[in-house]
Amino acid sequence: MERRAILEELRKVLYPYTENKELLENIDEHTALVKDLKINSANLVDIIIDTEAKYNVEIDFDSAEKIITVGDCINAIAEKIPR
Amino acid sequence: MSTGNDMSTGNDIIALAATDADRTCLYRFYSRIVSPDELCRHPATGLPFPVFVWLMWSIKESVYKYVSRADPRLRFAPLKILVDGLWQREDYYEGMVGYGPATLFSRSFLGEETIMTVVSGQQDFGDDRWGMRVIGDSDCATCHPDYFTQSALVRTFALQSLSTVLPGAALRIVKTQDGPPEVWDGGCPLNIPISLAHHGKYVAWSYRLPANNSTYRKSAANRAASSHLPRVDLLEITGLKRSCSSCEYSS
Repeated sequence: MERRAILEELRKVLYPYTENKELLENIDEHTALVKDLKINSANLVDIIIDTEAKYNVEIDFDSAEKIITVGDCINAIAEKIPR
Repeated sequence: MSTGNDMSTGNDIIALAATDADRTCLYRFYSRIVSPDELCRHPATGLPFPVFVWLMWSIKESVYKYVSRADPRLRFAPLKILVDGLWQREDYYEGMVGYGPATLFSRSFLGEETIMTVVSGQQDFGDDRWGMRVIGDSDCATCHPDYFTQSALVRTFALQSLSTVLPGAALRIVKTQDGPPEVWDGGCPLNIPISLAHHGKYVAWSYRLPANNSTYRKSAANRAASSHLPRVDLLEITGLKRSCSSCEYSS
């Protein structure tokens, strides 16, 4: 799965946790989940769990710790998806 | 006891209504926040399990804010922040928390709808001040304040609190690009670390005054002055064990 395709799916995962939906339209790999999208940090575990369910993968603790940006999230998914 | 960086502060507020209790009880959720050792502390607290999990989150988030002031590159890793002790006091839960070589202390105030935590390097919280407010109709056009409203109001309330310590100062809160918020007097940054938090309609702040600096110390006169702060909205916080007239705290 290409990174661009993962990003599009990720946009759907982030949707319920992003107050300002317009911000979501312009996300790229450099967009920070908390700082740029204003997602409350209390929702970060929700996002990881929703991502795991969406892709039927398990994001381990080490990978989860590295998730700051959309690109980090894509990395965590991409390394778990069979090529 | 080593605290790494004594001159910091960290806080957090959780609006329990904005959390999903059923999801919180799932192993794949709480295991990302609470370690097996910490889990053993749950029965002694007498708290519902989801509240315990969010208490742990609140403590760890506050510790993260405290330590990341010195190193903004740090990433929040809840399982690397260890709550080594948790005790129920009259008004709050007191925690002792380890993060690397540092030991920090937490106080968490539980209401029916909220968990507010503040973290200090001092066990007596002698130089720390903190408070919380609920955003009411008079503050916001809707009862569902957006991020920017929350962010603006928590600054307003924190500055109200700070003005009782530094009357007459041209106080403002400056947010740097990647660093924590800073308190400035006009064009000068002050040595007063501040931490801000908001969740749902609740906002909270904490700051730490320089030790042994009488200029910053809360004098008797300032205490009297602070009693005149508008507190109407504090009355909406019904669950705090302490009287609602004193939802702003200092040790």
